Amino acid sequence: MSDKNEGLSKAREIYLNRSQRARELKAAGRRIVGYPCVYVPVEILTALDLVPFQTCGEMKEPISEASRVLPGSFCPVMRSCLDCALKGKHDFLDGMATIHSSDPQEKTARIWQSYTNYPYFHFIDMPITVRPEALEYFKNQLNDFGKTLEAFAGRKLSTDNLAEAVRSHNRQRGLVRELFELTKSSPPRISGTEIVQVVRALTSLPVLEGNDLLAEVIAEVRSRSNGPEKKSARLLIWGSTVDDADVMQVLEANANVVVNESCGGLRAYRGEVKLSNDLFEGLASYYLKEITCARTFRQASLGETKKDYARDLQSRFGHLQKMIKEWRINGVMMLLVRYCDPFAFEMPSLKDYLDSLGIPSTYIEYDYTAGSIAPLRTRVEAFVETLG
Amino acid sequence: MASEKRKKAINRLQSMYPLRAKVNETYLKSIEAIQAGKPAVWAMLNFYYGDPILKAMDIEVVYPENYGAIAAATGVARQFLDRADAEGFPTHLCGYSLTTLGYACRMMKDLKGQIPPEAPLGGMPKPLFLLSSAAICDARYKWFQALGRYMDVPVWPLESPTPGIREFFMEGYYDRMVKLGVQHLRDFVAFVERMVGRKMDWDKLEETANLMIEVNRVWHEVNELRKARPCPMHSRDFWSAMPAALFLAGDLQDSLKLYQDMYKEVKARVDSHTGAIAEEKYRVVFAELPPWHSLGFFDKLAERGWNFVVESFGYHPPIPIDLSKVSDPLERITRFSLQFFAGYYQDALKQKVLGGTSAYPYLKYVREWKCDGALLHPLISCRSASTHLPYVSDMLMHQLKVPSLIVEGDIVDLRLFNPDDALARAEPFEETMEHYRKMRREAGFNW
Amino acid sequence: MPIRGKSLMYFAGVDIGSTMTKVVMIDEAGDLVSAIKGPTGPEYRRLANEVMQRALEQAGLDIDQVSYIVATGYGRLRVPFADKQITELSCHARGVSSLFPTVRTAIDIGGQDAKCMKIRDGKLVTFVMNDKCAAGTGRFLEVTAATLGIKLEDMGELSLKATKKIQISNLCTIFAQQEIVALLSRGERVEDILAGLHDALASRVAALARRLNIEPDVVLTGGVAKNIGIVQAMKENLGCEVMVPEEPLLTGALGAALLAREAYMKATASGEKLSTKPRRLERATFFG
Repeated sequence: MSDKNEGLSKAREIYLNRSQRARELKAAGRRIVGYPCVYVPVEILTALDLVPFQTCGEMKEPISEASRVLPGSFCPVMRSCLDCALKGKHDFLDGMATIHSSDPQEKTARIWQSYTNYPYFHFIDMPITVRPEALEYFKNQLNDFGKTLEAFAGRKLSTDNLAEAVRSHNRQRGLVRELFELTKSSPPRISGTEIVQVVRALTSLPVLEGNDLLAEVIAEVRSRSNGPEKKSARLLIWGSTVDDADVMQVLEANANVVVNESCGGLRAYRGEVKLSNDLFEGLASYYLKEITCARTFRQASLGETKKDYARDLQSRFGHLQKMIKEWRINGVMMLLVRYCDPFAFEMPSLKDYLDSLGIPSTYIEYDYTAGSIAPLRTRVEAFVETLG
Repeated sequence: MASEKRKKAINRLQSMYPLRAKVNETYLKSIEAIQAGKPAVWAMLNFYYGDPILKAMDIEVVYPENYGAIAAATGVARQFLDRADAEGFPTHLCGYSLTTLGYACRMMKDLKGQIPPEAPLGGMPKPLFLLSSAAICDARYKWFQALGRYMDVPVWPLESPTPGIREFFMEGYYDRMVKLGVQHLRDFVAFVERMVGRKMDWDKLEETANLMIEVNRVWHEVNELRKARPCPMHSRDFWSAMPAALFLAGDLQDSLKLYQDMYKEVKARVDSHTGAIAEEKYRVVFAELPPWHSLGFFDKLAERGWNFVVESFGYHPPIPIDLSKVSDPLERITRFSLQFFAGYYQDALKQKVLGGTSAYPYLKYVREWKCDGALLHPLISCRSASTHLPYVSDMLMHQLKVPSLIVEGDIVDLRLFNPDDALARAEPFEETMEHYRKMRREAGFNW
Repeated sequence: MPIRGKSLMYFAGVDIGSTMTKVVMIDEAGDLVSAIKGPTGPEYRRLANEVMQRALEQAGLDIDQVSYIVATGYGRLRVPFADKQITELSCHARGVSSLFPTVRTAIDIGGQDAKCMKIRDGKLVTFVMNDKCAAGTGRFLEVTAATLGIKLEDMGELSLKATKKIQISNLCTIFAQQEIVALLSRGERVEDILAGLHDALASRVAALARRLNIEPDVVLTGGVAKNIGIVQAMKENLGCEVMVPEEPLLTGALGAALLAREAYMKATASGEKLSTKPRRLERATFFG
């Protein structure tokens, strides 16, 4: 097998066994801190020489432990996340950094803390708006997060190290965006399934190793001739979490998924943390404002005393308009997990926005279990048939 | 001839009636005022943070969360829920939000802004603006944003910090929270001034804030008296008397007097060892939201000797806090509101119970009110009132050897609560409570 | 092998539903050549062969004469002789519009699911499905028929003999059974209870359909459409006329056959090469 084939198959391998590298690093004396949500500023972990590890859900793992402490009607992704933790799948972790990005995140964090015994545990609170005082509050929260990490790491957070970490993570974001550039063509050079594997692999590796993997993958994809087959349907998937390769394969059975606007796809990589004298300001601003998750309350203008629905929609979903144009999207699939409130409330408004752009869309709900794949298939195929 | 008067199972407090009536009167007066042209605002319950501002500005406030309960109880919710379904809102969403979304769609799309004739109790008028709150759950701020599909009215999203229990005690954390909370409130005041075209009467705000704090302080003391054996006041009285304090209903000076009367009556019962029920066999705590439409259920349990002595953390007043040295009314309000959420934190930290705001208080309730059991009522479409219940059940058994009985229901699909089924489980649960009473004695607990 | 008429091209649609497997064959002109239904068993791969064989026999054709075959339905991915798979949603839309050209809303109530489709110019535009909850599907009627001790095929007629409307408060199939028992012991008439049950099912399906903005003409298909009580209840719940085809079970297979024909004709016209599966039907046996 030539070197050129390393990147994608390496990503696939890591995807199937995500904790492998973290365990190796742990055995070599490094400390690993888990995080359940992309809103946790991993730069701070990297800067203190701690290895960030995203504790993702496992769709095909039947829930058993989590049902003792969380009701059935609850975000299935977080339920799965907690279930894995309680089963000891993350026993290599030295700590957890949790965050109030959503209700289930907040509630799970408390229970996680109560039922496990890591040397380190921190809860970062988050405001819902992007108002100046909210941003200030969030910055304070990140500062406090830095402080407890310093105590745990046994060293001070240096500005230089943090700046370096910001640069490395920004580089990663840039590389992922480069990867998504490769789906603009028709056919796309890389499939949605392959990207999901790469992104999930990244979130289990230290940032520099992740960047190396991305560089390999990009080189391989650029030079290969056996990319995805061209399909007439070019889809954008919008949702909270679409991070499973089997789900992606169902979505791509008769279509090209060129943009995955979710956690598991492009969402955590679209912007950049601004480097300045005040790095915490840059981090707070990026994480609170730039990540396009439905949990953040956006308005056309802060404190507006008049509201116009069209302007409101533009402020909430305008970033999709550019994507739809640049990637020549001809269909949007709103793929939501059951019990996800922020996205569920958002969905009819997004449909209005997409209707105003003349883009066909469909809403599909799944419950993040292995059994949800078959019903997903019919709905996805039928939607694609309406586009053809 | 001796007349046989059937004695009521629960000995209701006389002082409860005027407090309950006050909320109804305030509600009806509000509807009249709105019909006469006064502007109305739809608000989420915001735990003493935004309400005093609205009150001081003399704005009529409508609470869609409450109206959702009314719609459910009067059987009108179903059509609004169906409407929300037809509009594409996923069915797992909070029942109250779906009721409101369906209602707003009906009002605006079908009736061009007129209140639907089928809406009970005068309905909800098209508001001047929407005040949402980040407190307690995501639905409560996303829902008012979603209303933008039907009504072009501005939304003010009130922030509501939810600190971690350990993190809260980091150096400077609390002061920074307060500073920013005050700033946020100041901006909110400016927004309200622009919306109603009038300046804030700061003296009135100061008076409102002070009364709000004092009313809740007295109300807190009333509930502390319920620790007595037998318990002088049943949860049914709590739920009837609570809205006046929580929603700052009507004249607060008048409310203060009514709660002071209640304190006197409850104190008198404590002194004379009078209980809320004839024979207190079991002291029970209830979590979280009661089945408003089926409260007679508790009377049946009272006949079996179940005295509900404490309940519903979400509705309890904050633990009193000394704000005498705080001169800025906005800061008083901010600190008081924060106190609702974080007042228990110190205790929780000492007890090493990290399960979050809504969960820890039940440990305190059970220990201090000496409960034999917990009745937990998860609601299928209200996750924020239900998520912590498995944890609470586990915590109470593990730490205090107190058992829990789970009885399911819903906030809008009232058929899901089956009182007959629940009553059938009461007897075996009594045996469980008695068993654990023995276990506690053996383990050295004093109740 | 007799050759029917002058047509040299034949097309087949195979609809493998959860309860029934249907095959429809049409000729080049789009006219019906054969139509067969049989129960789907657990071994639907074998059953598909059998039903296909019966359809061929009815048409007097050999499998080699079938130019293009489309499979649809729940089991569409496991029909080894099918050239293409298309979802039942698109197939029903196509089938229904060939029978009722003015259709805008099609509702299919099957044994285990319910589908609502919006149709424009004979094509599927948008859809909603329920395949999670038994209420609002044929299953609801099966279960309640069993509880009442009556035959499924008698339910509809009996329900129309109701003298009063009983509101079934439990839409969940499991709880509805308990409610039926309670109603019977209260002395309620079976006909009245049936009317209530039919209304309950129709109200569920109507609620599903309303997510799509119902436009006339409305057509009802699926096994449950044979129940005249349901047809009546759907009219009441939707507040409009509802049409039902003579063979409400066959619209999926018909649509699949029509789409097979269209795909083939389109490819022939544009010179595109269509890939087809080997024309081989294992001789069906009941014994192995």
